[in-house]
Amino acid sequence: MCGIAGLTLKDPGLRPELGAMLAGMLVMLEERGPDSAGVAIYDGAGALAVTKDIGGAGQVCGRFGIADAPGYQGVGHTRMATESAVTKAHCHPFVPADGVCVVHNGSFSNHCTIRRELERQGARFDSDNDSEVAARYIGSRLAQGDDLETALHAMAKVMDGFYTLLVTTPTEFAVARDPIACKPAVIAETDGYVAMASEYRALADLPGIKHARVFEPTGVHTWTR
Amino acid sequence: MDPVALDASELTTRQINQRLRELPDGARALVTEPRGRHNLAVGLTNKIEITIDGNAGYYIGGLGDGPDVTVHGFTGWGIGENLMSGLIRVKGSVSQSAGASAHGGLIVVEGDAGLRAGISLKGAALAIAGEAGNLTGFMAQAGTILIGGNAGEALGDSLYEAVIYVAGTIKSLGADARISDLTEDDVTAVKALCGQAGFTHITPEDVTKVSSARELYHFTSAHASSY
Repeated sequence: MCGIAGLTLKDPGLRPELGAMLAGMLVMLEERGPDSAGVAIYDGAGALAVTKDIGGAGQVCGRFGIADAPGYQGVGHTRMATESAVTKAHCHPFVPADGVCVVHNGSFSNHCTIRRELERQGARFDSDNDSEVAARYIGSRLAQGDDLETALHAMAKVMDGFYTLLVTTPTEFAVARDPIACKPAVIAETDGYVAMASEYRALADLPGIKHARVFEPTGVHTWTR
Repeated sequence: MDPVALDASELTTRQINQRLRELPDGARALVTEPRGRHNLAVGLTNKIEITIDGNAGYYIGGLGDGPDVTVHGFTGWGIGENLMSGLIRVKGSVSQSAGASAHGGLIVVEGDAGLRAGISLKGAALAIAGEAGNLTGFMAQAGTILIGGNAGEALGDSLYEAVIYVAGTIKSLGADARISDLTEDDVTAVKALCGQAGFTHITPEDVTKVSSARELYHFTSAHASSY
């Protein structure tokens, strides 16, 4: 499993509520990923703030006061570890480059091969998590000048496996899924925000959700600020 | 008589399904605040009308053999999974595997359907007003799938005897699926299904019929590359 939640705000009036909205979403996904939780907040003022730790989403969000954090964009993840250890270094989100944030639900089957290639090119890893390989690959493509959508299509050609990814930059918010798409994703879009989660349950408390356009994305969907 | 009101924000899924199961034939029920809850209105055999007011989760109306269910919103995976009879109508879009393994009844999706709608269909009818994702009708054995919009990749992959009608375009056909001639009986069937579903945007004479080429029923090494 694993749970993903993300939010990019169109309505500046919602910015003081970003942390509370995101924490509320993530808590609903705790049972999809009880091992660890992580949050990244784009507040528009300083560097991307990433908080992650072992434990359930409620515990981690409470410990770090996520509900009080303002911002214009945020990403959250709840992890059920399947292929590597439960440590802080293995927690999502991964930040492969300044302002770039990657969370993943799924598993990659050729991550060791890609990791070796990236290491030959000079990439450094913080963990042996397969998701970090995807993050570093996307980061390397962005560093070569790709825009996010191009980088995600390039990743899809190289990395083999099951994935729903939420990838953000300071100006972009993208959901990418493999063609079989067995890892869930649902989008809700209103005039105030674009929200993404693994399950609709996580979106149910968002303001104006009853009038949102709710749909399942496939392939690569990108929103640019 | 007013419908029996069941507020999902105050009741567990089991409590809701137990209350629904106790209702006599002919009764109506209104489930409010579903908030993406999974497994609502599952496994019921009484002939009741259930309205779910909002976006709901996985397997809504699954295993049903009697009730009619209307969802005013979006639903997650497996709407009407293994349905035996009755009508399930979703006013919004649905996620993956709509009508998986459904034996009977009719599932109507007024929006779009995600991947693998009608997977392993065993006799039910599935009517999708909008688009249908990749692998729609995967391994479908019996029944009918009507797609009012465009179909994605690998339509009808490994299809058995179910029949798929598409009003829009087909991105690609799956293994052992082929376009076949539309007969008068097909047009009559599509008209009837459009009538039941309430679809007025489809011209039955203009749909594309997809059925099995029946070449992969039994493995032979000569066909190994076709799988």
